[in-house]
Amino acid sequence: MKRQVPLVLCFLFGIVMILTEFSPHSDSQELYKEVGRWYLVITPFAYVIGVMTLVQVHGTRIRRRAEYWQYSYVVFAGMILMVVVGMPTFLNQTPFFQARGISFGLQSPVFEWLFEYVQVPMEATTFSLLAFFIASAAYRAFRARTFEATLLLISALIVMMGNVPIGDYIWNTVMGETPWTDGTSWARQWILDNPNLAARRGIILGVALGVISQSIRIILGIERSYLGGD
Amino acid sequence: MTVNNRFQLRLGRMPPEPRRRGLKPRLPMGSYSICVHPMLLICLVCGLCAGVAFAQGLAPPTNVTAKDTPNDDGKSITLTWDAAAEDSGITVYQILRGTTPETLAEIGALDSAEKPTYVDASVETGIDYVYVVRAVSKTEATEETADSEITEPVQATGQWFHTGKIPLFCAMLIFSAAIVGNIYYARSGKEIFVRRIPGLEAVDEALGRATEMGRSILYVLGLGGVSDPATIASMTILGQVARQTADYETPLRVPCNDPIVLNVVREMVKTAYLNEGRPDAYTEENIFFLTDSQFAYAAGVDGIMIREKPAAVFLQGTFYAESLILAETGNSIGAIQIAGTTSEHQLPFFIAACDYTLIGEELYAATAYLSKEPMFLGSLRGQDWGKVIIFGVLVLGLVLEPLGINWVTTFLQKVVN
Repeated sequence: MKRQVPLVLCFLFGIVMILTEFSPHSDSQELYKEVGRWYLVITPFAYVIGVMTLVQVHGTRIRRRAEYWQYSYVVFAGMILMVVVGMPTFLNQTPFFQARGISFGLQSPVFEWLFEYVQVPMEATTFSLLAFFIASAAYRAFRARTFEATLLLISALIVMMGNVPIGDYIWNTVMGETPWTDGTSWARQWILDNPNLAARRGIILGVALGVISQSIRIILGIERSYLGGD
Repeated sequence: MTVNNRFQLRLGRMPPEPRRRGLKPRLPMGSYSICVHPMLLICLVCGLCAGVAFAQGLAPPTNVTAKDTPNDDGKSITLTWDAAAEDSGITVYQILRGTTPETLAEIGALDSAEKPTYVDASVETGIDYVYVVRAVSKTEATEETADSEITEPVQATGQWFHTGKIPLFCAMLIFSAAIVGNIYYARSGKEIFVRRIPGLEAVDEALGRATEMGRSILYVLGLGGVSDPATIASMTILGQVARQTADYETPLRVPCNDPIVLNVVREMVKTAYLNEGRPDAYTEENIFFLTDSQFAYAAGVDGIMIREKPAAVFLQGTFYAESLILAETGNSIGAIQIAGTTSEHQLPFFIAACDYTLIGEELYAATAYLSKEPMFLGSLRGQDWGKVIIFGVLVLGLVLEPLGINWVTTFLQKVVN
């Protein structure tokens, strides 16, 4: 019974949700939106469990004095600070904070300041690491040890040179006597529009069929991994 | 003598003195009356023309029809009428609507240069409406209007099936039939060949290496939610990996980005350990929620990699810009890395930084490949049939299009749109 009910529900909702894609009727679209709202209702409960596991993991780290356990205090401090500042609580009514013009909530200046000047710069820092990682990954990938790697290297060089003005400048200087101008950017565009796009479309078609196949397996109850077991 | 000739004749009589002094020539007093004459004539002609137009009246819009908009949710009515001639003088069309002819009121306007079609999206389902399209000719000084005939009462009704999506529906039925048919084919016990997928062959190698080194395995499910097909496929692979880690007693760490995924994954890994008869080896706190923020998640996973130095890293699921940050960090610690994603923009990064990569659909094939279940293998065969069908239709379209037969390309365009 524990398995049968979810499987039946999955089958029914799977079929109904597919049909809503083909039905523009307002009742059908309302059903689609309603099911989306049910999903949203589940999320906050799941978040509570998520935060509990976070506390559990870092509490254990502190208790066991695991390596770098001190950083777990930073996790707790950050979490508590953002929760306190981000929730409009009774603190907004206290004379102490009112006298100093400090308010709490998602629109409060303190919360916005923490978001703008702490969270956003930290995320931007992590994102900027990507530039260095691209360089190191490209160095390894472009070493011309095999035929495929050599092909990759040549294509990458053309695309890179086609993306900067100096690429066409070099071409026009070297090939100035020929009637073909801006050959580097033309070659870059040809690579992107032909072999690159063809490969991408092949992948997208395969993925789309894979999604259909997996959806049918789930609807028919063949694939049950989402139930938390096999 | 024409008016112009007489005009020039008068000009010829102008006294020469002012020219010599560098002044503008002045017409003698008597010549003004002749100069004004052509202006008067022009005004007279224009006035006469305008008078004739006003006398004829502005032509009202013709063939005005109001119909329920097809393939909608029953919240709109479409009005069409014949386009007026360019010199009709119409500047704008006003749309009047009412439930009876007496309650007509303006609800919108349409520039006369636009296509003569108006979609009224402010109607209620099941109520009769009548419409009038009013042609308006507006200048700074005057405004003239001409109303069309009142349309027949019309109701907006919702359609249960979108006829424009019939090609898509047909394509879905064909692919579904191919997959279901092959699932039944596989159930009959016939052997199905699956080509070797190096990325999945390497799973055993990765697990064995981690076990020998006495280090953990890090499994990253990416940023997808539980409704993301790539995440579901990734969870299935995780189930297979968990079975083996239960056998080998190798620690399996799963940092999650989505709390719902966390709960499903916990249940799944727990079940895998139970099925292998090793419930004691299951450690719930090894599957934990990290954060739902993209780069904070990347930083957190990188930190785990640097601190714990797992021997094997699985990056399976939906990834965005953080893909290379994770893969390069995994590479830097010397872990064997098996990646798989359906995000085609991230695939080059994984191919460059990881030891093995499951490209696109291979991620979905992983379940069948690892479990060898006939029904999964059947669905995999169905996918291949789907590819054959698409390939066949594309070739047919390529052959027929130069011959002027374009129903195949039209069908494909309708499926895509």
